[in-house]
This record gives sequence, C-alpha cells and structure tokens, in this order.
Amino acid sequence: MRRWRVASRAGLPRGEGPWPWLAAGSLALSLLMLAALLLLLAGRGLGHFWPAPVELVTLDDGRQLAGQRVREERRQTLQGSPLRERLYRTGNRDLEGDAWRWVPVASIATHEHPADWAVIERQRWGELIVRPLALEENGRRLTEAPLWESFTARLARVQALRVERDALRRQVIAPLARHLAAGHEDAEAQARLAEARARVGELQAAMARDALVVESAAGERLSVPLEEMVAAWRPNAMSPLQKLAAWGANLWHFLSEGPRAANTAGGVWPAIFGTVLMVLLMSVLVTPFGVLAAVYLHEVAPQGRLTGWVRIAVRNLAGVPSIVYGVFGLGVFVYGIGGRLDEWFFADSLPSPTFGTGGLLWASLTLALLTLPVVIVATEEGLARIPAQQREAALALGATRAEMLRRVVLPMALPAMLTGVILAIARAAGEVAPLMLVGVAKLAPQVPLDGDFPYLHLERKFMHLGYHVFDVGFHSGDVEAALPLVYATALLLVGVILVLNLTAILLRHHLRMRHARLRSR
Amino acid sequence: MIDYSSPAVRRRQRWRLVRDRLATLLIGACGTGVIVAVLAIGVFLVMAAWPLFSSPRVAAEPAAPGVEVAYPLAAPLPAGLEAWLQEQRLDRLPRALSQAQPPFAGESLWLAEGHRLTRLALDGEAPRVVARLPVVAAEQRITALATLAGGRSLVVADDGGGLRRWAPEPDSPGLRPVKTYRERGPAIQALWPLPESRRFLVRDTTGLSLYESLAGRRWQGEAPAGEPLGFDAGGGLLWQDEGRVQRLAIEAPHAEVSWRTLWLPQPYEGHAAPQQRWQSASEGSLDEPKYGLAPLAWGTLKAAAYALLLAIPLALGAAVFSACYLPRRLRERIKPTLELMEALPGVVIGFIAGLVLAPFVERHLAGGLALIALLPLVMLLAGGLWTRLPAAWRRCLPLGWAGLWLMPWLALWVALALWASPWLEAVLFDGDLRGWLEASLGLGYDQRNALIVGLAMGFAVIPSIFALAEDALSGVPASLGEGAQALGATRWQTLWKVLLPAAGPGIFSAVMIGAGRAVGETMIVLMATGNTALMSASPLEGMRSFAANLAIELPEAVPGATHYRVLMLSALLLFLFTFAVNTLAELVRRRLRRRYRQLGAGR
Repeated sequence: MRRWRVASRAGLPRGEGPWPWLAAGSLALSLLMLAALLLLLAGRGLGHFWPAPVELVTLDDGRQLAGQRVREERRQTLQGSPLRERLYRTGNRDLEGDAWRWVPVASIATHEHPADWAVIERQRWGELIVRPLALEENGRRLTEAPLWESFTARLARVQALRVERDALRRQVIAPLARHLAAGHEDAEAQARLAEARARVGELQAAMARDALVVESAAGERLSVPLEEMVAAWRPNAMSPLQKLAAWGANLWHFLSEGPRAANTAGGVWPAIFGTVLMVLLMSVLVTPFGVLAAVYLHEVAPQGRLTGWVRIAVRNLAGVPSIVYGVFGLGVFVYGIGGRLDEWFFADSLPSPTFGTGGLLWASLTLALLTLPVVIVATEEGLARIPAQQREAALALGATRAEMLRRVVLPMALPAMLTGVILAIARAAGEVAPLMLVGVAKLAPQVPLDGDFPYLHLERKFMHLGYHVFDVGFHSGDVEAALPLVYATALLLVGVILVLNLTAILLRHHLRMRHARLRSR
Repeated sequence: MIDYSSPAVRRRQRWRLVRDRLATLLIGACGTGVIVAVLAIGVFLVMAAWPLFSSPRVAAEPAAPGVEVAYPLAAPLPAGLEAWLQEQRLDRLPRALSQAQPPFAGESLWLAEGHRLTRLALDGEAPRVVARLPVVAAEQRITALATLAGGRSLVVADDGGGLRRWAPEPDSPGLRPVKTYRERGPAIQALWPLPESRRFLVRDTTGLSLYESLAGRRWQGEAPAGEPLGFDAGGGLLWQDEGRVQRLAIEAPHAEVSWRTLWLPQPYEGHAAPQQRWQSASEGSLDEPKYGLAPLAWGTLKAAAYALLLAIPLALGAAVFSACYLPRRLRERIKPTLELMEALPGVVIGFIAGLVLAPFVERHLAGGLALIALLPLVMLLAGGLWTRLPAAWRRCLPLGWAGLWLMPWLALWVALALWASPWLEAVLFDGDLRGWLEASLGLGYDQRNALIVGLAMGFAVIPSIFALAEDALSGVPASLGEGAQALGATRWQTLWKVLLPAAGPGIFSAVMIGAGRAVGETMIVLMATGNTALMSASPLEGMRSFAANLAIELPEAVPGATHYRVLMLSALLLFLFTFAVNTLAELVRRRLRRRYRQLGAGR
C-alpha cells in the first residue's frame, strides 16, 4: 500500500521524490564546471592574440593615459565604500616603471579610441603604447607623407635584414667557428669567417639606420630604433579582417618562436618541440615492452594465482602517484645509471655531470615506466576480447604458437594496442610532476635535436608545455603579463591531450563494434 | 601432395618449431623483465629509505699513520679568556661556550660548580657573572658540560648518571630544561660533542655511548683502554693507548632520524615546547633540520579529504543519475565526456585553481560560500518548478534530461550569488568576511587554501570515481532492477533498496581509487596551496603534502644524505598507501564482478 501512496504523491514525477534532482544536479554541475574550464581556457588563451583597442583615457585631474582595458574589479576602500577600478595595460615599462595601471572608474572623465595610437612590441622592456610622430633616418628627421605606411615598410625592411643576419649567424658563422674551435688550422675557413662577420656588421649597421619618434600619453617623447621592434600595429585603425589577420599572425608567432623576456613574451616553440620529442621517445620505448608484457601475461604465462596477482599489481601501478615514478627515475636512472655512465664514459667532464643529471633520455624512460601499466592493461583488454575460436582455429590448422600470435592474435589486437599507446601518450603529455625531478628545464633554447653529431642529444634538458605553464605562471616576475601566455600554453596542452584522447575513444569504440560483429558471426 | 618425409619439409618444420620456441622465450623474457622492472619501484624505495633505520656503528680500527687531530675534544676558548680562567683558578671546572639570541646576544661561558651552573657574559671587558643556576639535585655534582653545534643547546651530565639538555632562555639569563636523556645511571665522566653535528659521545663508568640531541641514545658499547685525543678530519675519534693510536670510527649518518623523531613532537632548538615541524636545512648550515613527517601526512590527508568532500557527492550523484535515469544514447555521449575530463592535466587544473580561482574566491568569499552551501536547495527548487510545468512541456523534457533543465538555473544561481556577494558581505559580516572570520572564529585566511584545493582536486577526482561507480551500478544484473520495478517500486526506490546494496562494494572501491588519486596528486596541491607545512584543519589555510614536498625538495637534496633518504621514505609511504588502497579496491571489484555473474546466471 505504501508504494502506491508514494507513486501517487501529488506533483512529483512518478513519485520519484526530490532525490533524482540532486543526482541530476551533480551531473549537470560536473559538466558545467568542465565546460566553464574549457571555455575560460579557450577564451582567454585565444583572446590574447586579438589586437585589443587602445583607449586614450582622460582623468578628472586632466592627466591622460593610453592602454588596453583588461578587466574591472570592485574593491573596498579603507573607508568601507565600494570602489570600481579598471585595470589598463599601459605598456611603456621603461618610461613609467610599471606596465599596468589601476584606474578608479569614477575618476575617468572621457575615453576615446584615436586611430593613430600604436602598440609596438619590442625585444626588451615589453610593449610600447604610444603615438608615432615622425621617422628618423640616421638621426635626421624625415617628412614622408603617410607616416604609418612608410614606417611599416621600413619595419619590414629591418625584419628582412634581421632574418638574413640570423641565417648568416646560424648557417655560416656558427659551423665555421665550431670547425675552427675544434683545432683545425684552415686559412680559407678563417677568411670566410671574417667575411661573414663583416657582412653581419654591415647588416647590423643597416638595421640601426631608422628610428621612430613616439610620444606617450604622459607627453614623454623618445626615439625608438626600429631594430628593437618585433611588431607594430594600430588596433584602432584596423578593420575586423585586418585584426583577424593580425590574430592569425600572432598565433603563428606564438607557436613558432622561442620565448623572450624571461618566458613572459614570445612563443613556446621549444616547449612544443621538447614535449613532442619526449613523448615520441617514450612511445618508442613503451610500445614494444608494453605489448610484449601484455602478450606474456595473457597468452604465454600459466594462468595461475601468481599471474593473477601480477596482473592486479600491474593494474594498481597505474594508480601509483606520478611523483613516485619521478622519485624512482631520479634515484635509479639519473643518480644510479647516469652517475655510473658518467664515471665510465664522461670522466673527463666530471664533476659537471653529463648523464648524471636530468635529461631527455631519463625523462622519456621515467614516463615510459609510468605509462607501461596503461599500455599493458589496454592491450590485455584487447587480447581478452579476441574470441578463443580464432586461436583454436589457427592452432588446429597446424600453426605454431608464435605463428598464431603473429598472424592471428596481434593483428586483431592492433587497435587495442593503438588505444593503449595513445592513452599513454595523452597521459605522458600532461604529466609534469615526475619531469620536474628528471630533466625538464625552465629555459632551454637549444632543442635536443640539431645538426651537430650525434644529432639527437639525449642528455640535454628540454622544455615542456606543462612545466612551462607551471613555471611561467608561478615563478615569473610579472604574473599579470605572463597570464595570457600561460592561458594560451595551457589551451595548447589541453587541446593536444583532448585530441589524443578522442582518437583513443573513437578507436576503442570502433574496436568494440568489430569484436561484437565477430562474436555474433 | 606434400611429401612430409622429404628433408626440406622436415627442415622447415624444425625451423618453425625453433622459431616458436625462440619467440616464446623472447616474449617470456621481455614480459618478466618488464614486470620485474615495474615492481622494482617498491624495492628501490625500500632500499633507499632503509639506511635511515640501520643502527649506528662505532668500531675501533688502527689509525692511519700520520693522521692528525682536526677538531679538539672541546672547542678552545679565546686566549684571553683562558688566561683569565687560570688567573681565577677556574680552569679545571667543566665549561662550555654558548650562543644566545637577543637580548642576551653573544657568547656566554658556562662553568659547572658543584650542582650549579654559572653563566658568564663575555660582552664586556672582563667576563661577568650573570646567573648561578642549580640544574641538578643538590647532592649531585656536574661532571661534564658541552654545547652542541650551533651553540644553542647545553648538555649537562652529573655523577648520578643524569644526562639532560638545556637551552638558554631567550629573554632571561636562565636556562630551560629541554630533554632528559636519562635520569640516573652510572656516573658520567666526560662528554665529547662530535664536530659539526648534534651528536655527542658520553663516557661513563661502564663504557661509551653515542647520543643524538633529538633521538637520544643510538649506540652503547665498551670504551677502549686509554684516553681520547680529538676528532680527525673524517669525524673519527683518535684514541691513545700507551703510545698506540687507535681510531674510533663513528658511522651514524642518520642518527637524528628514528620513528619517534619522525612522527612525535620534538623539542627543536628555538621553540619553547615540543613541535611537529617539517623544515629541512640546507647542506652545511648550522640550523637544526626538522624532519617531522606528521605535518606532511596531515597536509596530504587534509587535501585529499577536502577534495573527496566535493568529489564523492558530485561523482556518486552523477553516476546514479547516469546509470538509472539517463536515456541510453545520452549516456553513451556523457561517459566519454567525463573520461575526457579525467585526461585534463593536473598542471592546467592547478594553474586555474592557483592563479584564477584563488584570487577570485578571495574577492567573492561570501558569495562563493553561499553558492556552495545553497546549491542543493537550488537544484531542489528547480526540480520543484519542473513539476509545476504543464504536462505537455514535461513530456518534451523527461526526467532523463533533467540535467539540461537544471543547467540554466545553476548558471543563474552562480551569477546571482556572485552579484550578491558584496551585498551579502556588507549586511552579514560588516563588509569584511575575512576580518569577521578572523575576529569571531579565529580563522586565518590564506589566498591558496584547502577550500581551493578541495574544489580543484575534487574536480580532478570526480571522473575517476564517476567512471568506476557508474560501471558498478550499470553492471548490476538487469533482472534485479526490473524485478523491483515490476513490483511497483519507483526508480529511486529501486536504486536505494536494490541497486545500491548490490553495487555497494563497487562504489566503495570507486571512492578508494579516488582517494588514492587525491593523495598522490602533485601539481594541483603544489600550485593551489601555499605549501606551508601547517597542521590546521581550517579550510581557509594552506598545507603541504608529501607529493608537493617531494617535487619541491627532492631536486635539491644531496643523494645519500639524511634529507634525501627521509624524502625517499615519504615517497615509499605514498607508494605503499596508494598501492594498498588500489589493491583493496581491485580485490573488492573482482569479488563484485563474480557476484554479478552468479546473480546474472541465476536468472
């Protein structure tokens, strides 16, 4: 009878009571949090590259400032009355001491968006937000008519010169200098080196020719050599299409360049390269061993109690904290094996360690160990899904066990192995804690792969996207300036990992479908 | 027709068999190798931490020819002081030099006269007596006196066998008893502090013992015949016996660590009462290293507890809803989505928590707390609102899609709570919630606190708990649930009375796995807490966990040193804990699966 009463209680859906709503709420909340996180990352990460408009703000007391609006906050003053304050990124760190200004909203008299204000990104000291006044050539004031057009043309020229200079340095001077430093007495090489150096000097001088005279909002004038500039744009004068093009260019610079200004500006190319290289090395190490171990556990080893325990142990290792693997890597690989290798092969460079300190090889090995359980478990699952008839049929036709494994079982388990490896890669790409112990570096502009023998430098430290997020976000001097880059880096990392995971999920789905068909046949 | 007896075919057959053997061998070797390598982690950690607990060894060996005394048995006094003591005929008394904190800064000379200690200040022209302090019972006599490295502890031994450590008081000329190593025993004849460490050798009438300032007696044995000369550069005690010089090698690299000093409050120098502290000292500094693991264990468990406080209700609620209410197609979409959530790297979640969420919550504390506290109520209200909808609307949006119905309401609530935050704070807490908390509840506020870690790590743990709990719930044989519903139970009743009891162990194991992940998570704790090794339960203060501590300190630790080995011990604890928790969860899950099979078979 009680059931009936519950079922007919007025108002509630089929007498379910209020509890399902709490359950539904928790699901909705989890998804909302995930969506909020991803949206925040995407918005802030991608928004950073959009050329934000420059506001020229006139305060009540007549002072002016120019900057890009960042955000608004409500604060309590000491008297207890709330105060809305707006944060402007004003740039001009070398002129004003700080690149940020909090301005009480109430004290803003007017704000406008004049078209002629420019944002100039420099090699050092961050951005300038200024009004260009005139061009100078060798210190002589020019009066070319459209100032901005002639400025951009000259900036393009300087950039072309810079590309030429860097190429010369990298491709001619550095190899020649190495060649000579190795003790070769080579008059021809010396002559070529001197010639190249002279050419670099010429280029340098040509680059130093032009300068731009600018005026800041506070009225200060200065002349900025074009040589120091990285890029310049006038956000207020740009059409949306131009802004989109600038956005794309900025994004490309972020992906393809190295970091500048103590990692708070520039790009993350070395970190991308380091992450990918480390993960590739790791998968080369983990795939064969993981697959062989899974085949051993599932196909070869006697299925007794001991194997059962080993299987549980391997499965549980996937749940052991990653930092513990880092500790193991540090103790065994770096200090143990690396220290021994140094004693045997690199004794002449001791006490500065070669392999006895964190490096690419040890990081890959540690992560391979960390992801081994993932590969083993996924492959074993794939092996378990293969119907026994397939094996029995192969054996009945006279195949040996090795032939059966190679021709029948492994091809069928291939998608499972791939799933395992992709999951392993996704996990490895996101792990930072063990890397902090075994070889990641704050700044390693030299990527571990280059033209010098032996080409792949396994002992070098490398940069990593995840560690870059941690380091720039928590150890840089101006967190506010670094924050957009951290967002962008985090977005990149999450994007890579999500794509990898999605691939694994789709692959697994495909696999399940196929085996379902096989079984039903 | 193949001729099976032809030599070519037989050769090929043999070759195939050999290849089969070789392949099996290779697979076996690689498989066992990999498994052994993986299991070696535990062995390595045990081996790295083991020397901490090996007992110290003191053994006599022939001294190398030409070895010299590098450190005398007691630090020499300045020449003028020595002369002054001789003049005053005080030079035969046991004595020691100590350093003290301001206002009694500078050096003091301690002289033992009978059962009293005399403190002489050395700041003026001539030493002057500051205090005479009785430190042992009146019928006993102080026989030996020594200061330990750093000069902030005074060890006093008497002829009744008493051995105690005293510390000069910071704001008076007196002494404070710190630790009693022993009350009575054979009369003590001499004390020899080891150079640059807080250990000392004690000679009494029965033999020689080695003491450590915190851990107490670490070794006891026979004293060789003859008299000591001093310590050599390697820390060995040179010992002369009728012209023959022996070296007493003292091997006690980790004497300061014992289970007691790791886990119990210790009387560290510079603290009035015994403390639980983790504060490693840099190599070669005279500061006393404080290796108390309790604050780290506390921090680890605190972070995990706050994370689970958020994750368990959310994950289990989501799992229940997904298993019992969601339409099958929607469920197939939502499960992979939450799997993706599990793949989000800890460093990204930690970054959001530490740099975005923490300052945000600091600004909107009142709103944030109200948001969390009233969230269930909002869900129920939105649910109630749904039942008031016209039946046609309700049919379009069945209970399976309730999550969708709730989302706008939840979003609205978040916006409302944040909008009302300053107003709430102004009305209820005089405009300053943090000040109010500080004044009325005594709660300090750190920007990066347990609340933030709970939110961030809870978020990270939700998917692991969800996936396993959902598997357990949807794995319950359908016949059970269908039977209950056929008898007229609602879905919620079916869940509560039938599914949950059946899937209970699976849910338990899901929570265990989540706990394991929360305990070992490094980056989130590292980035979202201030990493201060505090022992407070307050949700508004920070903590330092084992994992974060390893990430911070291990790269700087010298391999083989005590600090390194204590860190290895903490990694071992982490390993053992997570391994045990995971094994338990896995065993429970296996039994559950067997039970489901039996239940399913009994249909």
